[in-house]
Amino acid sequence: MDPEPNNNTASGSGNPKDESALKAPSKDPKKKDDKKDEDLSEEDLALKQQLELYVERAQDADQGLQKVALESMRQEIRTSTSSMTSVPKPLKFLRPHYGTLKSYYETMPDSDLKKLLADILSVLALTMSAEGDRESLKYRLLGSEGDIGSWGHEYVRNLAGEIAQEYSKRVNEESTVDDLIELVEQIVAFHMKHNAEPEAVDLLMEVEFLDLLVKHVDKANYKRTCLYLTSSARYLPGPDDMSVLDIAYTIYKQFEEYPSALQIALYLDNMQHVKQVFTSCPDLLRKKQFCYILARQGLSFELDEEMCADDEDREALQEIINNTKLSEGYLTLARDIEVMEPKSPEDIYKAHLLDGRTSAGASVDSARQNLSATFVNAFVNAGFGQDKLMTVASEASGGGSSNWLFKNKDHGKASAAASLGMIDLWDVDTGLAQLDKYFHSNDNHVIAGALLGVGIVNCGIKNDCDPALALLADYLDKEDSSIRIGAITGLGFAYAGTQNEQIRDKLTPILGDPKAPLDVIAFTAIALGLVYVGSCNEEVAQAIIFALMDRSESDLGEPLTRLLPLGLGLLYLGKQDSVEATAEVSKTFNEKIRKYCDMTLLSCAYAGTGNVLKVQHFLGQCAQHFEKGETFQGPAVLGIAMVAMAEELGLDMAIRSLEHLLQYGEQNIRKAVPLALGLLCISNPKVHVMDTLSRLSHDADTEVAMSAVISLGLIGAGTNNARIAGMLRNLSSYYYKEASLLFCVRIAQGFVHMGKGLLTLAPYHSERFLLSPTALAGLVVLLHACLDMKTIILGKYHYVLYFVVLAMQPRMLLTVDENLKPLSVPVRVGQAVDVVGQAGRPKTITGFQTHSTPVLLAAGDRAELATEKYIPLSPILEGFVILKENPDYREEA
Amino acid sequence: MLLTTHLWFKFLLRRYAFDCHSYVLITVSVKWQKELYPAVEIDTTQPPYVFKCQLYDLTGVPPERQKIMVKGGILKDDSDWSKLGLKEGQKLMMVGTADEIVKAPEKGPVFMEDLPEEEQVVAVGHSAGLFNLGNTCYMNSTMQCLHSVPELKSALIEYPQSGRSNDLDQSSHLLTVATRDLFSELDKNVKPVAPMQFWMVLRKKYPQFGQLHNGSFMQQDAEECWTQILYTLSQSLKSPSTSANLDKVKELFGVNLVSRVHCAESGEESIETETVYSLKCHISHEVNHLHEGLKHGLKSELEKASPSLGRSAVYLKDSHINGLPKYLTIQFVRFFWKRESNQKAKILRKVDYPLELDIFDLCSDDLRKTLEAPRQMLRDEDGRKAGLKLKEKVPASGDNDVKMSDAEGPSNGSGESSKAALVEGVGSDKNAQLTGVYDLVAVLTHKGRSADSGHYVAWVKQENGKWIQFDDDNPIPQREEDITKLSGGGDWHMAYICMYKARTIPM
Repeated sequence: MDPEPNNNTASGSGNPKDESALKAPSKDPKKKDDKKDEDLSEEDLALKQQLELYVERAQDADQGLQKVALESMRQEIRTSTSSMTSVPKPLKFLRPHYGTLKSYYETMPDSDLKKLLADILSVLALTMSAEGDRESLKYRLLGSEGDIGSWGHEYVRNLAGEIAQEYSKRVNEESTVDDLIELVEQIVAFHMKHNAEPEAVDLLMEVEFLDLLVKHVDKANYKRTCLYLTSSARYLPGPDDMSVLDIAYTIYKQFEEYPSALQIALYLDNMQHVKQVFTSCPDLLRKKQFCYILARQGLSFELDEEMCADDEDREALQEIINNTKLSEGYLTLARDIEVMEPKSPEDIYKAHLLDGRTSAGASVDSARQNLSATFVNAFVNAGFGQDKLMTVASEASGGGSSNWLFKNKDHGKASAAASLGMIDLWDVDTGLAQLDKYFHSNDNHVIAGALLGVGIVNCGIKNDCDPALALLADYLDKEDSSIRIGAITGLGFAYAGTQNEQIRDKLTPILGDPKAPLDVIAFTAIALGLVYVGSCNEEVAQAIIFALMDRSESDLGEPLTRLLPLGLGLLYLGKQDSVEATAEVSKTFNEKIRKYCDMTLLSCAYAGTGNVLKVQHFLGQCAQHFEKGETFQGPAVLGIAMVAMAEELGLDMAIRSLEHLLQYGEQNIRKAVPLALGLLCISNPKVHVMDTLSRLSHDADTEVAMSAVISLGLIGAGTNNARIAGMLRNLSSYYYKEASLLFCVRIAQGFVHMGKGLLTLAPYHSERFLLSPTALAGLVVLLHACLDMKTIILGKYHYVLYFVVLAMQPRMLLTVDENLKPLSVPVRVGQAVDVVGQAGRPKTITGFQTHSTPVLLAAGDRAELATEKYIPLSPILEGFVILKENPDYREEA
Repeated sequence: MLLTTHLWFKFLLRRYAFDCHSYVLITVSVKWQKELYPAVEIDTTQPPYVFKCQLYDLTGVPPERQKIMVKGGILKDDSDWSKLGLKEGQKLMMVGTADEIVKAPEKGPVFMEDLPEEEQVVAVGHSAGLFNLGNTCYMNSTMQCLHSVPELKSALIEYPQSGRSNDLDQSSHLLTVATRDLFSELDKNVKPVAPMQFWMVLRKKYPQFGQLHNGSFMQQDAEECWTQILYTLSQSLKSPSTSANLDKVKELFGVNLVSRVHCAESGEESIETETVYSLKCHISHEVNHLHEGLKHGLKSELEKASPSLGRSAVYLKDSHINGLPKYLTIQFVRFFWKRESNQKAKILRKVDYPLELDIFDLCSDDLRKTLEAPRQMLRDEDGRKAGLKLKEKVPASGDNDVKMSDAEGPSNGSGESSKAALVEGVGSDKNAQLTGVYDLVAVLTHKGRSADSGHYVAWVKQENGKWIQFDDDNPIPQREEDITKLSGGGDWHMAYICMYKARTIPM
């Protein structure tokens, strides 16, 4: 891990002070030694004289005497080098004689004795040799090649450091490294046996010989080894990280730790590996657990006979992957937590707490306020199947439901109808039945909303009958553009990440249609981007590129046009270098969109990689100052967040860099910064970010304030965070007469109470290891839309807010028994502790509380079973986890 | 239509019954909502419409509303079964409901965004703000306070555009017209209003407000502005035809004072009456509360020539209120001329003022007598409210009855006395009687260290009971409890002028 191996050993030894203390006296040994002589105890003095005698004898002409002297010297050193907490006395006393011995060594004829002396010199060099000389290694190679561990841990570490240096030197000189590799093997074997897996991995990475690791892992240390491998992968450049993960995958598979192997396979996005996991695991129950993991990732995956021979079993497994039981599990959680009661927007606004501060006028409906109530209602009751505006009234009296629907104006009705889809989220059967009657409406906006609702209901759920495609396909070529957008976006939601060719065949012609209006084309590009997210699909890319090239000069100035590059970018989400060819093509675009396209493509391609160089590139783009508002800096700022969100360290650094941008950036940068912060801490309300956003929410610039308000909602999404809720409540009275800002505040309130606090928007899951591409894609589309709040969200395209549905997931742990029925067991839930590189079995959570499942998991929480009665089939307790009875369990009497 | 479909379906079924074996039947399962119909037979020689009719019988969803998912889309009535590749035991999904189709209500809701601006005002619940035209916050806040007096507004509306009386000068007339126009502008708009016209006319009438300092208009004393405007209005709103008694402004704001001027040295005593437009609350070290300040303000010492002593002597002037206005204006005398710094300095002392002010003890004996009856009624009213609650709590018992009858006694008595008061016919010809109890309706505050600097803001209670802080063009809703916090003692806004509205009781 560490680029400088010398440092590595220094920090590894745990007391670099000792080392410097050792080196200092070596410069003028005489003076110090004289002084020290006086302080020495009798015992030490005796030892010192003894050693001096050995040194003298070792240079004796008599070979026998020499041998005895060297062997006793070795004996002295060995008995004391086992611990390095303080400088061993023999080493200390031998220090003045290092030079003498070294020069004597040169004069010796080749013999066993010479090797013996080389061994001793190699150990002495540990403290004596000048930095960069690598004498320890030199004498080690000349020595007797005996058991390396006999000289103690510190010696091995030092050697490993020197090997790394020597290796890189030799590679540069292109000389042979075989002797080093031999030594490496010894060292790795030693490390792996002695709980020092990180050192072994580090050394192997230095000498680029990780494959060796597989030979040395065993049941005792493979977990720690793999943990170290996977977490170091985040900090490795280029192809190294992939090879490291490959090794980890191999090891996991070797030890039949299939769920972890599967997770790595998913991280690598390697379907071949995923298949292997399925084929190599014989146990059906474990396969079911794999399916749950696949379903959480939002992957569309078809099982074949090779993976599961039995038809019936395969169907059951496929059903899990298709996520058909998600709604059921979510409602189980809701019932357990007792939040089934529907909530109205007023329950969320809590206006009575702001007495005297709210405006009095309730007599007249405000279209904008009703629209925000529609969204809040949809988000808060998402997935519960019941609410107080859209569904309840329809049961009471036929006309009731339409009342709320028609309390929305024009395009607002589309969002209102679509909100039914959100309320019945994941419950395809009920949702489609609810939406059906709106298909027969004579209002185009209502039909558009119903179409969008079908997409929302089906989001993340796959169904053999493909109801979404069947229902929506007919509306793709309708005259009315709002209906078309509804159908197109609905398909995008329902088939996100599936790479469904039918969808492509239906949607690509729209992109080339010269008569299609701009908004239809823009949403088609986004829908295609969602369906083919991270696929690098050439054909789709071509179609979007042509559509972009066909835009007229005036179209290119429109904010909606900017969705086209985004659709293109989504195709390459997280695919790094694969974007290069397309990025090259984008350089030929009209200059109005060129830069914007470039930034968007780059930010998407490196999203979730943590690539520091790209972050710097984006920061560089933001450092430029322009006279007139340039648009491309918005995606550049978002790009910082998208790239840096991969791991905690980079994330914190990005937050700090963003604060700098706030200070020096112009308006177009400042308005994007809150959104970037929102993405970095999504559903994870960090206090300092909350404070920054709260400050920005009062910014003099309306657009900055609006994005800050929305971001407050994003960082608190699905948490019910009381502090954010309070902030937003105060903002609602502060902005009570600024309709647009109030709308944003309402939306943010809806986000915070999303799913009554049972949902998360975080695209990362499985202990922050895996990134769900569709979830990230949904968020990125929303954030890009927020870059131009006025025309898109506050305009007539407010339904882009529904793009969060792609990222919505219950933040739960639901344990199920072998028949997949919910099973309540006690679990400890606490703050996750980083245990990478720690020896033994360290505690993985802190400050825990014991609950019984199903439980909610907050950001950074980790759960562990509090009973021995069951064995979880997944090492990561998140989402659905199958429990198997522990055969060794005995009930305590 | 449904009936015929149904009949036809029955007919078809019967046909199957006869020669079922000669048709190719595929058994499929159909999923509809949460239900699963496991064995539905499809006759592939018949058009899909027949199949839909079968489903109609099962689910009650009319065929034209059924959407059946098959490969490649929705099953059409004229599709060919053989091309769909149906398999035995295949699961089909049907979407559709028999629910009523949603229709838009005949009368759609009216949205605020669509309303003309005047109507939006009603919805917003308060009137517009006033733009600051350069240190004109004193004028803005004054106008906002006066604007909250509906009687003044209605009087202004009646003011004739052209027909000014001869004794009124042109500039006063113009100022009155400008005031009227400004008030109606404020009522009509949601967005802030720029009081350009009014500002020009005001400067014309009272050139002191047009003073320039470093090329811009100077900050002025709001109290002076208030007094001047009221004076002008009192001049112009006098009905020329009738007597001066019908001075509208005087009726609304005028406080009749009766003062006993007494000279301790000579023992001379005289009674004076006067009408003032505001009571002064003098602030000294002993004054912590508005009431004390008012008392203080009603007693003054003056030096004047004593006819009996033949020289100037100190007279004590002790005033009492002899006639109450509908709107009681109280000025906190916070500014005094500081000779050493040559400016109006400000007393920052905290002086509490109540939301409900009772000035009974400041009244003259005559006035007290007339006030007693309405006050009693007011108390009874409150008592009844409390009594009702009591009655709800305690179920009727003998003990309670006695109390009730006891309570009736004095109320009867007061009824008689009120009749007596009516006969006397004091002050008002209307049925509403003043009680000496006043409710706070507007506060004009000053923030800053001297009268000619700092910032003036108006805090006005709206008709719906909500308080609005009019900070120039920015109306901000406020809580009632925050209004009493403007009592000074720091550098926050502090009350300079308070306007109270009389609480009346109908007789």
